[in-house]
Amino acid sequence: MHEVSIAMGMIDELTRIARENNARKVITVKLKIGKMSGIVIDSLQFAFDAAKLEYPLLNSTAIFIEEVPLIYECNNCKNTFKTDDIYFPSCPGCKSYNLKILSGEELHIENLEVEV
Amino acid sequence: MCDVCGCGHHHDSKSPSTSHDHPPFAKGGQGGIIGETRIIDVNESLLKSNESAAISNRAHFDEKGIFSVNIISSPGSGKTTLLEKTIEALKNDINIGVLEGDIETDLDAERIRKKGIPAVQLTTGGACHLESSLVHKGFHELEHQLNGKKLDILFIENVGNLVCPSFFNLGEHIRVVLVSVPEGPDKPLKYPKAFKTSHVFIITKSDLVPYFDFDIEKVKKDALSINPFLNIFVISAKTGEGLKEWFDFIKKQKHD
Repeated sequence: MHEVSIAMGMIDELTRIARENNARKVITVKLKIGKMSGIVIDSLQFAFDAAKLEYPLLNSTAIFIEEVPLIYECNNCKNTFKTDDIYFPSCPGCKSYNLKILSGEELHIENLEVEV
Repeated sequence: MCDVCGCGHHHDSKSPSTSHDHPPFAKGGQGGIIGETRIIDVNESLLKSNESAAISNRAHFDEKGIFSVNIISSPGSGKTTLLEKTIEALKNDINIGVLEGDIETDLDAERIRKKGIPAVQLTTGGACHLESSLVHKGFHELEHQLNGKKLDILFIENVGNLVCPSFFNLGEHIRVVLVSVPEGPDKPLKYPKAFKTSHVFIITKSDLVPYFDFDIEKVKKDALSINPFLNIFVISAKTGEGLKEWFDFIKKQKHD
Protein backbone atom coordinates (compact mmCIF):
# COMPACT_ATOMS: atom_id res chain seq x y z
CA MET A 1 0.00 0.00 0.00
CA HIS A 2 2.60 2.58 -0.99
CA GLU A 3 -0.36 4.30 -2.68
CA VAL A 4 -1.33 5.86 0.68
CA SER A 5 2.10 7.46 1.05
CA ILE A 6 1.99 8.60 -2.54
CA ALA A 7 -1.47 10.11 -2.01
CA MET A 8 -0.21 11.93 1.12
CA GLY A 9 2.79 13.29 -0.81
CA MET A 10 0.42 14.37 -3.56
CA ILE A 11 -1.74 16.21 -1.02
CA ASP A 12 1.33 18.12 0.23
CA GLU A 13 2.28 19.08 -3.32
CA LEU A 14 -1.26 20.11 -4.31
CA THR A 15 -1.60 22.22 -1.16
CA ARG A 16 1.71 23.94 -1.87
CA ILE A 17 0.85 24.64 -5.51
CA ALA A 18 -2.65 25.85 -4.64
CA ARG A 19 -1.29 28.25 -2.00
CA GLU A 20 1.41 29.58 -4.31
CA ASN A 21 -1.30 30.39 -6.84
CA ASN A 22 -3.67 31.88 -4.25
CA ALA A 23 -6.26 29.28 -5.17
CA ARG A 24 -9.41 28.99 -3.09
CA LYS A 25 -9.79 25.35 -3.94
CA VAL A 26 -8.54 22.69 -6.27
CA ILE A 27 -11.33 21.47 -8.56
CA THR A 28 -9.61 18.77 -10.57
CA VAL A 29 -6.19 17.14 -10.79
CA LYS A 30 -4.96 15.30 -13.85
CA LEU A 31 -2.43 12.54 -13.27
CA LYS A 32 -0.41 10.46 -15.69
CA ILE A 33 0.31 6.96 -14.42
CA GLY A 34 2.43 4.63 -16.53
CA LYS A 35 1.48 1.02 -17.00
CA MET A 36 4.81 0.01 -15.50
CA SER A 37 4.80 2.55 -12.66
CA GLY A 38 3.73 -0.13 -10.16
CA ILE A 39 0.79 1.94 -8.94
CA VAL A 40 -2.63 0.38 -8.42
CA ILE A 41 -4.82 3.18 -9.74
CA ASP A 42 -7.89 2.16 -7.70
CA SER A 43 -5.83 2.15 -4.49
CA LEU A 44 -4.42 5.61 -5.23
CA GLN A 45 -7.90 6.94 -5.96
CA PHE A 46 -9.26 5.38 -2.77
CA ALA A 47 -6.42 6.72 -0.61
CA PHE A 48 -6.69 10.21 -2.05
CA ASP A 49 -10.48 10.36 -1.66
CA ALA A 50 -10.23 9.21 1.95
CA ALA A 51 -7.41 11.58 2.90
CA LYS A 52 -8.54 14.72 1.03
CA LEU A 53 -11.55 15.29 3.33
CA GLU A 54 -9.30 16.75 6.00
CA TYR A 55 -7.89 19.42 3.69
CA PRO A 56 -10.23 22.35 2.97
CA LEU A 57 -8.44 23.24 -0.30
CA LEU A 58 -8.82 19.68 -1.57
CA ASN A 59 -11.94 18.23 0.00
CA SER A 60 -13.94 18.39 -3.23
CA THR A 61 -11.06 17.71 -5.64
CA ALA A 62 -11.71 15.11 -8.32
CA ILE A 63 -8.75 13.25 -9.78
CA PHE A 64 -8.56 12.15 -13.38
CA ILE A 65 -6.01 9.52 -14.24
CA GLU A 66 -4.60 8.86 -17.66
CA GLU A 67 -2.92 5.48 -17.90
CA VAL A 68 0.14 5.76 -20.12
CA PRO A 69 0.92 2.70 -22.30
CA LEU A 70 4.26 0.97 -22.23
CA ILE A 71 6.16 1.96 -25.38
CA TYR A 72 9.67 0.83 -26.25
CA GLU A 73 12.16 1.83 -28.89
CA CYS A 74 14.48 -0.88 -30.19
CA ASN A 75 18.11 0.23 -29.92
CA ASN A 76 18.98 -2.21 -32.69
CA CYS A 77 16.51 -1.41 -35.52
CA LYS A 78 14.92 1.81 -34.12
CA ASN A 79 11.44 0.32 -34.37
CA THR A 80 9.00 1.67 -31.73
CA PHE A 81 6.27 -0.58 -30.37
CA LYS A 82 3.63 -0.83 -27.66
CA THR A 83 3.50 -3.89 -25.41
CA ASP A 84 1.84 -5.23 -22.26
CA ASP A 85 4.85 -7.40 -21.48
CA ILE A 86 6.62 -5.76 -18.55
CA TYR A 87 9.20 -8.51 -18.07
CA PHE A 88 10.89 -9.67 -21.21
CA PRO A 89 9.70 -7.64 -24.15
CA SER A 90 11.60 -8.13 -27.35
CA CYS A 91 11.37 -6.12 -30.56
CA PRO A 92 8.61 -7.57 -32.75
CA GLY A 93 10.69 -6.61 -35.81
CA CYS A 94 14.22 -7.89 -35.13
CA LYS A 95 13.67 -9.83 -31.82
CA SER A 96 16.34 -7.79 -30.02
CA TYR A 97 16.11 -7.35 -26.22
CA ASN A 98 18.19 -4.19 -26.39
CA LEU A 99 15.34 -1.74 -25.81
CA LYS A 100 14.80 1.71 -24.44
CA ILE A 101 11.59 2.69 -22.61
CA LEU A 102 9.87 5.67 -24.21
CA SER A 103 6.81 5.74 -21.94
CA GLY A 104 5.06 3.69 -19.28
CA GLU A 105 6.99 4.61 -16.13
CA GLU A 106 5.19 7.93 -15.54
CA LEU A 107 4.02 8.92 -12.09
CA HIS A 108 3.16 12.55 -12.71
CA ILE A 109 0.84 15.35 -11.80
CA GLU A 110 0.11 16.90 -15.19
CA ASN A 111 -2.07 19.85 -14.23
CA LEU A 112 -4.70 21.11 -11.85
CA GLU A 113 -7.77 23.20 -12.31
CA VAL A 114 -8.20 25.64 -9.46
CA GLU A 115 -10.68 28.24 -8.38
CA VAL A 116 -9.01 31.56 -7.73
CA MET B 1 -28.16 21.80 -0.80
CA CYS B 2 -27.61 18.73 -2.94
CA ASP B 3 -25.45 16.37 -0.93
CA VAL B 4 -24.26 14.54 -4.04
CA CYS B 5 -22.38 17.44 -5.53
CA GLY B 6 -23.12 20.45 -3.32
CA CYS B 7 -24.77 22.32 -6.18
CA GLY B 8 -27.71 23.93 -4.40
CA HIS B 9 -30.27 21.97 -6.43
CA HIS B 10 -32.52 19.34 -5.06
CA HIS B 11 -32.08 15.85 -6.47
CA ASP B 12 -35.15 13.79 -7.25
CA SER B 13 -34.02 10.45 -5.96
CA LYS B 14 -35.86 8.60 -8.75
CA SER B 15 -34.48 10.61 -11.62
CA PRO B 16 -31.44 12.55 -10.45
CA SER B 17 -30.47 13.59 -13.97
CA THR B 18 -33.74 15.43 -14.74
CA SER B 19 -33.55 17.71 -11.73
CA HIS B 20 -29.85 18.41 -12.36
CA ASP B 21 -29.91 21.20 -14.88
CA HIS B 22 -26.38 22.51 -14.52
CA PRO B 23 -23.38 21.24 -16.48
CA PRO B 24 -20.65 19.65 -14.36
CA PHE B 25 -17.89 21.97 -13.15
CA ALA B 26 -19.74 25.15 -14.21
CA LYS B 27 -19.92 28.17 -11.92
CA GLY B 28 -21.98 27.38 -8.89
CA GLY B 29 -21.76 23.74 -9.90
CA GLN B 30 -19.66 20.90 -8.54
CA GLY B 31 -18.07 21.80 -5.25
CA GLY B 32 -19.82 25.16 -5.22
CA ILE B 33 -17.37 27.09 -7.40
CA ILE B 34 -17.91 30.83 -7.10
CA GLY B 35 -14.68 32.41 -8.39
CA GLU B 36 -12.78 32.18 -11.68
CA THR B 37 -11.15 28.90 -12.56
CA ARG B 38 -7.84 28.32 -14.25
CA ILE B 39 -5.53 25.48 -15.20
CA ILE B 40 -2.06 25.27 -13.66
CA ASP B 41 0.42 23.11 -15.56
CA VAL B 42 2.55 21.17 -13.13
CA ASN B 43 4.21 18.23 -14.81
CA GLU B 44 6.11 16.95 -11.80
CA SER B 45 6.54 13.61 -10.12
CA LEU B 46 4.00 12.41 -7.59
CA LEU B 47 6.96 11.38 -5.48
CA LYS B 48 8.45 14.86 -5.47
CA SER B 49 8.26 15.48 -1.73
CA ASN B 50 10.11 12.21 -1.02
CA GLU B 51 12.59 12.92 -3.82
CA SER B 52 13.53 16.37 -2.49
CA ALA B 53 14.21 14.95 0.98
CA ALA B 54 16.23 12.13 -0.64
CA ILE B 55 18.40 14.63 -2.51
CA SER B 56 19.13 16.48 0.72
CA ASN B 57 19.95 13.18 2.49
CA ARG B 58 22.40 12.29 -0.28
CA ALA B 59 24.06 15.72 -0.09
CA HIS B 60 24.43 15.24 3.65
CA PHE B 61 25.99 11.76 3.27
CA ASP B 62 28.38 13.03 0.59
CA GLU B 63 29.43 16.01 2.65
CA LYS B 64 30.32 13.67 5.54
CA GLY B 65 32.04 11.14 3.26
CA ILE B 66 29.57 8.40 4.15
CA PHE B 67 28.68 5.61 1.74
CA SER B 68 25.02 4.66 2.26
CA VAL B 69 23.37 1.33 1.54
CA ASN B 70 19.60 0.74 1.49
CA ILE B 71 18.80 -2.93 2.11
CA ILE B 72 15.42 -4.25 0.97
CA SER B 73 13.81 -7.70 1.00
CA SER B 74 10.76 -9.62 2.17
CA PRO B 75 10.46 -10.22 5.92
CA GLY B 76 12.81 -13.00 7.01
CA SER B 77 15.27 -13.00 4.10
CA GLY B 78 18.14 -12.28 6.46
CA LYS B 79 18.74 -8.53 6.30
CA THR B 80 19.60 -8.18 9.98
CA THR B 81 21.67 -11.37 10.02
CA LEU B 82 23.65 -10.13 7.02
CA LEU B 83 24.28 -6.87 8.90
CA GLU B 84 25.39 -8.72 12.02
CA LYS B 85 27.88 -10.80 10.01
CA THR B 86 29.10 -7.73 8.14
CA ILE B 87 29.62 -5.81 11.37
CA GLU B 88 31.48 -8.72 13.02
CA ALA B 89 33.82 -8.96 10.05
CA LEU B 90 34.41 -5.29 9.33
CA LYS B 91 33.94 -3.28 12.49
CA ASN B 92 37.67 -3.03 13.18
CA ASP B 93 38.40 -1.73 9.67
CA ILE B 94 35.52 0.61 9.00
CA ASN B 95 33.11 2.70 11.03
CA ILE B 96 29.59 1.41 10.52
CA GLY B 97 26.27 2.95 11.54
CA VAL B 98 22.83 1.44 11.10
CA LEU B 99 19.30 2.75 10.70
CA GLU B 100 16.80 -0.03 11.33
CA GLY B 101 13.37 0.27 9.75
CA ASP B 102 10.45 -1.68 11.14
CA ILE B 103 6.75 -1.21 11.59
CA GLU B 104 7.06 -1.76 15.33
CA THR B 105 9.61 -2.63 18.07
CA ASP B 106 13.24 -1.85 18.80
CA LEU B 107 14.31 -5.51 18.44
CA ASP B 108 16.54 -5.14 15.38
CA ALA B 109 18.34 -2.01 16.57
CA GLU B 110 18.99 -3.87 19.82
CA ARG B 111 20.54 -6.78 17.87
CA ILE B 112 22.86 -4.35 16.09
CA ARG B 113 23.81 -2.44 19.26
CA LYS B 114 24.83 -5.74 20.84
CA LYS B 115 27.56 -5.86 18.18
CA GLY B 116 28.89 -2.55 19.52
CA ILE B 117 27.64 -0.44 16.61
CA PRO B 118 25.52 2.74 16.84
CA ALA B 119 21.99 2.02 15.65
CA VAL B 120 18.75 3.96 15.54
CA GLN B 121 15.41 2.26 15.22
CA LEU B 122 12.96 3.88 12.81
CA THR B 123 9.44 2.66 13.51
CA THR B 124 6.99 3.58 10.79
CA GLY B 125 3.93 2.81 12.92
CA GLY B 126 2.21 0.90 10.14
CA ALA B 127 3.79 2.12 6.91
CA CYS B 128 5.36 -0.70 4.93
CA HIS B 129 8.48 1.19 3.78
CA LEU B 130 10.88 3.92 4.86
CA GLU B 131 10.64 7.43 3.45
CA SER B 132 13.47 9.90 3.12
CA SER B 133 12.15 12.34 5.74
CA LEU B 134 12.21 9.58 8.38
CA VAL B 135 15.74 8.61 7.34
CA HIS B 136 16.74 12.27 7.70
CA LYS B 137 15.44 12.35 11.26
CA GLY B 138 17.01 9.00 12.11
CA PHE B 139 20.36 10.05 10.71
CA HIS B 140 20.47 13.13 12.96
CA GLU B 141 19.74 10.91 15.95
CA LEU B 142 22.54 8.59 14.86
CA GLU B 143 24.94 11.56 14.56
CA HIS B 144 24.00 12.47 18.10
CA GLN B 145 24.92 8.94 19.27
CA LEU B 146 28.20 9.12 17.34
CA ASN B 147 29.23 12.24 19.23
CA GLY B 148 31.59 13.49 16.53
CA LYS B 149 32.93 10.09 15.48
CA LYS B 150 33.13 9.73 11.70
CA LEU B 151 31.12 7.10 9.82
CA ASP B 152 32.34 5.29 6.70
CA ILE B 153 29.29 3.21 5.86
CA LEU B 154 25.67 3.74 6.77
CA PHE B 155 23.39 0.73 6.39
CA ILE B 156 19.68 1.50 6.18
CA GLU B 157 17.66 -1.65 6.73
CA ASN B 158 14.26 -1.10 5.18
CA VAL B 159 10.95 -2.53 6.38
CA GLY B 160 10.54 -6.15 5.24
CA ASN B 161 8.60 -5.78 2.00
CA LEU B 162 9.61 -6.37 -1.61
CA VAL B 163 7.08 -3.96 -3.14
CA CYS B 164 6.77 -0.53 -1.56
CA PRO B 165 10.40 0.25 -0.58
CA SER B 166 11.37 0.14 -4.25
CA PHE B 167 9.35 3.33 -4.86
CA PHE B 168 11.07 5.45 -2.25
CA ASN B 169 14.55 6.74 -2.87
CA LEU B 170 16.12 7.45 0.52
CA GLY B 171 19.17 9.21 -0.90
CA GLU B 172 21.23 6.01 -0.70
CA HIS B 173 24.30 5.39 -2.86
CA ILE B 174 23.34 1.80 -3.56
CA ARG B 175 20.28 -0.34 -3.05
CA VAL B 176 20.75 -3.99 -2.16
CA VAL B 177 17.93 -6.51 -2.62
CA LEU B 178 17.94 -9.88 -0.83
CA VAL B 179 16.06 -13.06 -1.67
CA SER B 180 16.48 -16.15 0.51
CA VAL B 181 16.38 -19.64 -0.98
CA PRO B 182 13.20 -20.70 0.91
CA GLU B 183 11.26 -17.78 -0.59
CA GLY B 184 11.39 -19.44 -3.96
CA PRO B 185 13.00 -18.72 -7.30
CA ASP B 186 10.21 -16.58 -8.77
CA LYS B 187 10.89 -13.39 -6.77
CA PRO B 188 12.81 -11.42 -9.43
CA LEU B 189 10.05 -11.99 -11.97
CA LYS B 190 7.23 -11.27 -9.54
CA TYR B 191 8.77 -8.11 -8.07
CA PRO B 192 10.66 -6.61 -11.00
CA LYS B 193 10.78 -3.06 -9.66
CA ALA B 194 12.81 -4.09 -6.61
CA PHE B 195 15.41 -5.59 -8.95
CA LYS B 196 15.24 -2.85 -11.55
CA THR B 197 16.03 -0.18 -8.97
CA SER B 198 18.77 -2.10 -7.11
CA HIS B 199 22.51 -2.25 -7.70
CA VAL B 200 23.24 -5.44 -5.81
CA PHE B 201 21.29 -8.68 -5.55
CA ILE B 202 22.15 -11.13 -2.75
CA ILE B 203 20.79 -14.65 -2.67
CA THR B 204 20.84 -15.67 1.03
CA LYS B 205 20.59 -19.00 2.89
CA SER B 206 22.41 -20.77 0.04
CA ASP B 207 23.07 -23.71 2.41
CA LEU B 208 19.38 -24.61 1.93
CA VAL B 209 19.63 -25.11 -1.84
CA PRO B 210 19.66 -28.93 -1.52
CA TYR B 211 16.25 -28.83 0.15
CA PHE B 212 14.43 -26.48 -2.22
CA ASP B 213 13.73 -26.26 -5.94
CA PHE B 214 15.85 -23.17 -6.32
CA ASP B 215 17.98 -23.06 -9.46
CA ILE B 216 20.55 -20.37 -8.64
CA GLU B 217 21.70 -19.92 -12.23
CA LYS B 218 18.12 -19.48 -13.46
CA VAL B 219 17.34 -16.95 -10.70
CA LYS B 220 20.50 -14.99 -11.58
CA LYS B 221 19.52 -15.03 -15.24
CA ASP B 222 15.98 -13.81 -14.48
CA ALA B 223 17.31 -10.99 -12.30
CA LEU B 224 19.84 -9.94 -14.94
CA SER B 225 17.17 -9.89 -17.62
CA ILE B 226 15.33 -7.29 -15.53
CA ASN B 227 18.50 -5.37 -14.66
CA PRO B 228 21.70 -6.33 -16.51
CA PHE B 229 23.81 -4.13 -14.20
CA LEU B 230 23.09 -6.08 -11.00
CA ASN B 231 26.09 -7.19 -9.00
CA ILE B 232 25.12 -10.64 -7.66
CA PHE B 233 26.35 -12.43 -4.52
CA VAL B 234 25.31 -15.88 -3.27
CA ILE B 235 25.80 -16.21 0.48
CA SER B 236 25.09 -18.31 3.53
CA ALA B 237 25.45 -16.73 6.96
CA LYS B 238 25.38 -20.26 8.36
CA THR B 239 28.29 -21.78 6.39
CA GLY B 240 30.02 -18.50 5.47
CA GLU B 241 29.74 -19.17 1.72
CA GLY B 242 30.15 -16.02 -0.35
CA LEU B 243 30.50 -13.71 2.64
CA LYS B 244 34.10 -12.81 1.89
CA GLU B 245 33.19 -11.49 -1.57
CA TRP B 246 30.44 -9.34 -0.02
CA PHE B 247 32.77 -8.02 2.70
CA ASP B 248 35.40 -7.13 0.07
CA PHE B 249 32.78 -5.34 -1.96
CA ILE B 250 31.70 -3.25 1.06
CA LYS B 251 35.31 -2.53 2.09
CA LYS B 252 36.03 -1.19 -1.39
CA GLN B 253 33.14 1.29 -1.13
CA LYS B 254 34.84 3.05 1.77
CA HIS B 255 37.51 4.48 -0.50
CA ASP B 256 35.19 5.41 -3.38
